[in-house]
Amino acid sequence: MSESCKVSSERRGDVALLWTDGYINNQGGEEIAREAYSHLEQGARALVLNLEKTRIVNSIGISILIEVLERVMDRKGALAFCGLTPTIDKTFRIMGLAQYARIYTSQDEAIRGVSAPTA
Amino acid sequence: MTVPAPISPATRTVDLWKRVGAVLGGEGPLPVRVAEAALLVTGARDATLYLRERDAWIRTGENLAEGAAPEEVPEPLPPGVFRREGDLWIPLEAEGELHGMLRILDAPPAELPENSAMLAFLLGSLVGAHRLSRQVREAEFELKARLLELESLYDLGLSLGGQLDLSALADEVLFRSISLTDAGKGTLILFEESAAVLLARSVGGEVLAAEDAAGWALPEGGVINNAAAAGPTAGMQLGTCEKCLAVAISVPGRRLGVLAVADKESRDGRVLDFSATDARLLSLFANQAAGAIETARLHKDAIEKERFERELELAAAIQRELLPHDLPVVPGLEIAARNVPTRQVGGDYFDFFPLSQGRLGFIVADVSGKGVPAALLVSTVHAAVHLQIDEAKTVADLIGRIDRHLQRYAATRKFLTCFFGLLEPDTGQLRYVSAGHNPALLRHRSGEIEQVRATGVPLGMFPNSTWKEESLVIAPGDLLCVYSDGITEALDASDEEFGLDRLGLLLGAGSPSEICGNVFDAVRAFAAEVPQYDDQTLMLLRRADRVG
Repeated sequence: MSESCKVSSERRGDVALLWTDGYINNQGGEEIAREAYSHLEQGARALVLNLEKTRIVNSIGISILIEVLERVMDRKGALAFCGLTPTIDKTFRIMGLAQYARIYTSQDEAIRGVSAPTA
Repeated sequence: MTVPAPISPATRTVDLWKRVGAVLGGEGPLPVRVAEAALLVTGARDATLYLRERDAWIRTGENLAEGAAPEEVPEPLPPGVFRREGDLWIPLEAEGELHGMLRILDAPPAELPENSAMLAFLLGSLVGAHRLSRQVREAEFELKARLLELESLYDLGLSLGGQLDLSALADEVLFRSISLTDAGKGTLILFEESAAVLLARSVGGEVLAAEDAAGWALPEGGVINNAAAAGPTAGMQLGTCEKCLAVAISVPGRRLGVLAVADKESRDGRVLDFSATDARLLSLFANQAAGAIETARLHKDAIEKERFERELELAAAIQRELLPHDLPVVPGLEIAARNVPTRQVGGDYFDFFPLSQGRLGFIVADVSGKGVPAALLVSTVHAAVHLQIDEAKTVADLIGRIDRHLQRYAATRKFLTCFFGLLEPDTGQLRYVSAGHNPALLRHRSGEIEQVRATGVPLGMFPNSTWKEESLVIAPGDLLCVYSDGITEALDASDEEFGLDRLGLLLGAGSPSEICGNVFDAVRAFAAEVPQYDDQTLMLLRRADRVG
């Protein structure tokens, strides 16, 4: 695992796909937020965060992810996570991220999930 | 042409507040909506909202909140709405508490808009409610974080309980420790029993160097050093970090490792002090880790022991193949021999070599040490004797050749004693070399017992050694007894040895095969329940009585 978190991204239609690699702490969270907001500004409606190369998230990282989630919800968009370790999955559920963001096992499922029309 | 009816001020006011309501209830971050509503009411072109956060002003906008520059918000604040350098400042208060300041940039210099008071009240209430809501959410977040700590301790216990891979176990403990203390970096080091480093892991950077960790003296409960940048922690200089927290991973009587985290993060980028709560949490992790690490280590030891025993069994099987399956049949000779290893793999070896002209070669050897190394040497001796016996001119020459073979090829630096004899059954002529071996016993028909002593040093001990070859005659009815010290040095409960005398007394009655059985029975009865640590080998050769 990298010492500092690296974030890469790609746009697929109105979904922005973000990959993280490393520790999601203050620095990692800021990287994610910067990349996410940039895609939202450019019209992305939904975000998918693939965390398969991340094994640690701290509370600062979680609070930033919550800010990103709020920003997406303000815009009536959707956010989904995939590739979570069991520990991070449980962390997100306890910390309330899973209440508004959806968690999927695979990236394809996540993309399909946020692309599906909401009822 | 119809003249439109004039719009009344009341209608305009209602319309304005409807539009304000639509903006405030719309999408986007609240600070942006507040600023837009203010622009609607004041007719100005730009506005900024400052929120009071922990005694500091935060400028809010579309992107992440930013700290306001010094003196950006004029303090001390005049009471109520005021003007400053062309901007209109509106305090946003609710229930007597100031929540924020709305700054209308380049507001028209005319009198204050008539709706300012209403605007201030409305936005103040909204920002206050927003702030309260955020405080509730922060409190809820803190509560969830504590719940996460408890769940993590529970999960760690479950997960470590079944984790026997030390490396995965170390990762699990380190990741959770860093995560739950909000540390920027962390290091976990585990020691061998010898205090050498068994494993070292770091995330985010090295808090302490593995080679330094063994020197750390950590009290129970760990050490918090919130001035680590300024000086050593627990007597040791750390890597590059500002603040650190370190705890020992230990079980009663032994330190297993060190767990250290450093540089607790905050949302605004500051490095926070570690607290006693952090130290308690890390200590709990370390305690759980210690139990699991000890279990994993015991499991690893058990696996290694099992593997070692499998190797021993294999070596024993190989060694059994080295011993003769059948005794040679030599006219005029009665022969018996038996080997009882005390462990799976012993260090004793015996063999027979039927040679030309009816001669019989035989060897009894005792290798120093036990287990696989001894078995390897036995195997080397076996190979050497079989390779050299046809080439050697004399017994002494054969022993010399075997010794040189061992000096050159033996994988382990061990030595062996041996008795090698070359017997002509027709004449009873025995030529022999005893390389440091226990005295063989020659029991004459008369009952007299003669000791056949060593003629040189053990094999493999000194380079360029030589051995003297001796000879004797085994008369008809005489019995030659060659044995390893596992027979004569077998101990009873009072540490008394079985000894040569007891062995000698047993040589008189019965055939060699019966004597062999009697000797082993007697040794077993003598030792009773006392465990024996040396292999036992016995070889008996009796020259048949002359007929008539």
